[in-house]
Amino acid sequence: MVSTDLNTYVTFGYMLCVIAYLVVYIFGSAKSAARKCAFAGLILVWCVHTVAIGLRWVESYQMGIGHAPLSNLYESLIFFGWTIALALILMRLRFGADVIVLLGLPLVFLVMAYTFLEDHNIKPLIPALQSNWLVAHVMTCFLGYAGFAVSFVAAVLLLLSKRGDQLGKSLPRREILDEIVYRSILLGYPLLTLGIITGAAWADYAWGSYWSWDPKETWSLITWLVYSAFLHARLARGWSGDRTAILSVAGFGAVLFTYFGVNYLPGLHSYF
Amino acid sequence: MTVPNTRAPESSRQGSIFSDIAAFFTSVRTAIALLFLLAATSILGTLIPQDMPLDQLQQTVSPFYFRLITILDLHRLYRSWWFILLLGLLSFNIMGCLSQRLRRIPADWKGASGKSSFNISFSDPRDVKELEKVITSALKQLVRGAPRVVETGDGLILSWENDRVQLLGFPFIHAAIILILIGGLIGSLHGFKGKVQIKEGEKASRFTVIPTGAVEELPFEIAVDRFVLNRYPSGEPKEFRSDVRILVDGKEVLKDSILVNHPLTFQGISLYQSDYRLTGVKEVKFSIVNQSGESSEISVQPDATVQLQGTKYQLGLVSLHPGSAKRGAGVEINVQGPDGQNRPFKLFKNDPSPIKIDDLQLSFVDYTPLYVTGLQIGYDPGSAVVWVGCILLVLGFLLTLFTNHRTIAVVLKATDSGSSIEISGRSKRLRKEFREKVKKEVHDSLHIRDNKVTPITQGA
Repeated sequence: MVSTDLNTYVTFGYMLCVIAYLVVYIFGSAKSAARKCAFAGLILVWCVHTVAIGLRWVESYQMGIGHAPLSNLYESLIFFGWTIALALILMRLRFGADVIVLLGLPLVFLVMAYTFLEDHNIKPLIPALQSNWLVAHVMTCFLGYAGFAVSFVAAVLLLLSKRGDQLGKSLPRREILDEIVYRSILLGYPLLTLGIITGAAWADYAWGSYWSWDPKETWSLITWLVYSAFLHARLARGWSGDRTAILSVAGFGAVLFTYFGVNYLPGLHSYF
Repeated sequence: MTVPNTRAPESSRQGSIFSDIAAFFTSVRTAIALLFLLAATSILGTLIPQDMPLDQLQQTVSPFYFRLITILDLHRLYRSWWFILLLGLLSFNIMGCLSQRLRRIPADWKGASGKSSFNISFSDPRDVKELEKVITSALKQLVRGAPRVVETGDGLILSWENDRVQLLGFPFIHAAIILILIGGLIGSLHGFKGKVQIKEGEKASRFTVIPTGAVEELPFEIAVDRFVLNRYPSGEPKEFRSDVRILVDGKEVLKDSILVNHPLTFQGISLYQSDYRLTGVKEVKFSIVNQSGESSEISVQPDATVQLQGTKYQLGLVSLHPGSAKRGAGVEINVQGPDGQNRPFKLFKNDPSPIKIDDLQLSFVDYTPLYVTGLQIGYDPGSAVVWVGCILLVLGFLLTLFTNHRTIAVVLKATDSGSSIEISGRSKRLRKEFREKVKKEVHDSLHIRDNKVTPITQGA
C-alpha cells in the first residue's frame, strides 16, 4: 500500500533530519541559514507524514472497511510519531531551541521504526471500536502525550545543564528550558484531560461504565495526577528548575507505562 | 465549610489549632501530597489483581500476602475505606481552596483590587484631549473595545478591562473536580452493574450483579426476539445486535435493538451489548438427491426428527461440530432406520461427496445458529453529575487558557509643558510581554525616546 511505503520513507526522513541537525549543531551552529534549512527539511518530512496518514484513511475506504487510522498499535504509533513531530515544530517556532528538536527527533524515529515490527495491514474495525469517540479519544490522548514528550526532552536537558563540560555550556539558558518544560505540559494537560473525558464517555456507551479502574484508565489517571502535581507545584508553590524537571520526567514515565506498559497487564484495553 | 483562620480567635491557643487545621486543609502543599498519594496507591491497584474471588486469590499468593492484601482491602483497593478517605480529603482540600478564592472574586470582578503589575510614565507637549485619541489608537492592538473615560479636575482617566470572565476559570475547574467526585460517590452508593445472558426467543428479568455475584431483579423484562451477527468477508465479527422488546407487566412498552456502542436505556437503566455465545441451532438445512436425480432441501429442527421422503428413515440432529478451516462447519446427525437401529454420521459443509442412505444422497448445506446474547446492565444516577462536572472542567480550561484578564489605566494630567501620562496595567497571563507591548505601542505613538518605567512586581 502506498501509505505504508510513505511511512517507511517518512521514518528514514526523520532519521535524515536527525543527521542534518547533528551536522548543523556540531559544525555550522552559528549559521542560521543552515539551521533554517534543517528545520525546513523537518517540516517537509512532517508534511509527507501527514499525507501518509490521510492516505491510509482514504485507502481503508477504498477497501470497503473505512475508518480513521487510529485503531491498532501500528496506526497509533504512526500517529504518535506525527504528534511528537508537530509538538517539536511548534516548540521550535515559539522558542527556537534547535537542540530540543535534535534530541526529540530520535524519539520520533524510534516510535516510527517500532512500527516496522507490527502488522501494517488495514484491518476492519471490531464492533467495540466502531464509534466516533474513537477519533476524539485517540487524537486528544496522543496530542497530549506529544506535549509531554517535548517537555520530557527539555526536562532532561535542564537536568543535564548543570554539567560544567562542553555539553552543559552549549545548551540554551536554563530559564528557556524551564519555560519549555512548563509550556509543553500546559499544552498537553488539557488535551490529556479531554482524552480521559472522551475515553470515559466512550466507555459509558460501550460498556455502561465511564470508569471501571481498568489498568489503562487508572494509569491515564496516574499520569494526569502527576502532571496536576506539577502544575500546582509550579503555579502555586513557585517550584521551577530541577524539581519540576524531575516531575516532568516522572510524568513521561507514567505516559510510557500508560501507552505501552499496561498491555502487559490483563484488562479490557489489551486490543493490541 | 467555614475557614476559621479569618475569624478572630477566642483564645490564642484554640484559634491557632483551628487555623492550623484549616491551613492544612486549604494548603496547596496538602493538595500536592494528596495527588501523589492517590497516584501511588492507584499504581498499587494496577499491580495487585482487583476483584479476584478470595479463594482464587488465596491460591495465587503466599499466605502472608493474602493476609496483608485482605486486611488492607488491597484486592478491592479503589472501593476500600482508606482510598475513599483520600478522595474525601482531596475534596475538602479543594473545597477549602475554592471557598478562599471565591471570596476574592467579587472584588476582582469589580476591579476593586486596584493592583497593577507595571507603571509607565511619559510626558508629552500635546494637550490631554489630543493625547486621548493618540493613546486610544495606540492601544487598539492590545485591548478590545472603547475605554471608560472619567474626567478629573486636571485631565482624564482612560481605563480598559478585557476578559474578566477568566476569573471564573479557577472556580470552574475546581468545582468541576468536586462535582465529578460527588457524581462518582452517588454512582457507587446508589448505582449497580450487572450482566444477563438470554437465549434468542426467551426473556429474562433476573440478572447477576457485578462484582458480587448476587442475583437481583429488574423492574421489567427483556425479551430477545433475535440476535443478529454480521461478519466481514474475512470472517471477523462486523456487527452484532440483539433485537429486543421491553415488557412491563407482560405488556410491550419498547421495541428496539441493542448494538455495541449503542445501548438501550429504559427507566434510567441501560442495557449494553456485551458479547454472545453460540448455543445451538434453530434449524439445519440438508440437501437430498433421490434416485431420479431430483434434489430437494429439508430443514431439521433440534429435538425433532424428519422422515426422509420415500424411505422409512428418520433424521435427527445430535449436535453441531466445530469443523475445521478445510472442511468447514459440521453437524452430527443420527439416522434411525425402520429396524430401530441408530446410525450416526458427521457431515461437513465442504465435503466433496454426500452420504448415501438407501437410494438417497444426503449432504449438509448450512445451519441457522441459535445464540445466547450477553447483555450488561448499568444504572448510574451519579453519571449526570459527572458529565456536568466534565463540561464545567472543559469550560474552565477554555477560560483559563484562551482568555486573558487584563486591565490598562491611563491617567492624563495637564501640566505646564503639556501633559503627563501615567499608564498602569495588569495581565493574568504573559505579563512581561503585555507590559513590553504596552510600553512599545505608546512609546512609538508618542515618538519619544526617554521614558521612565517602574515595574511594580519583580519579574512581572
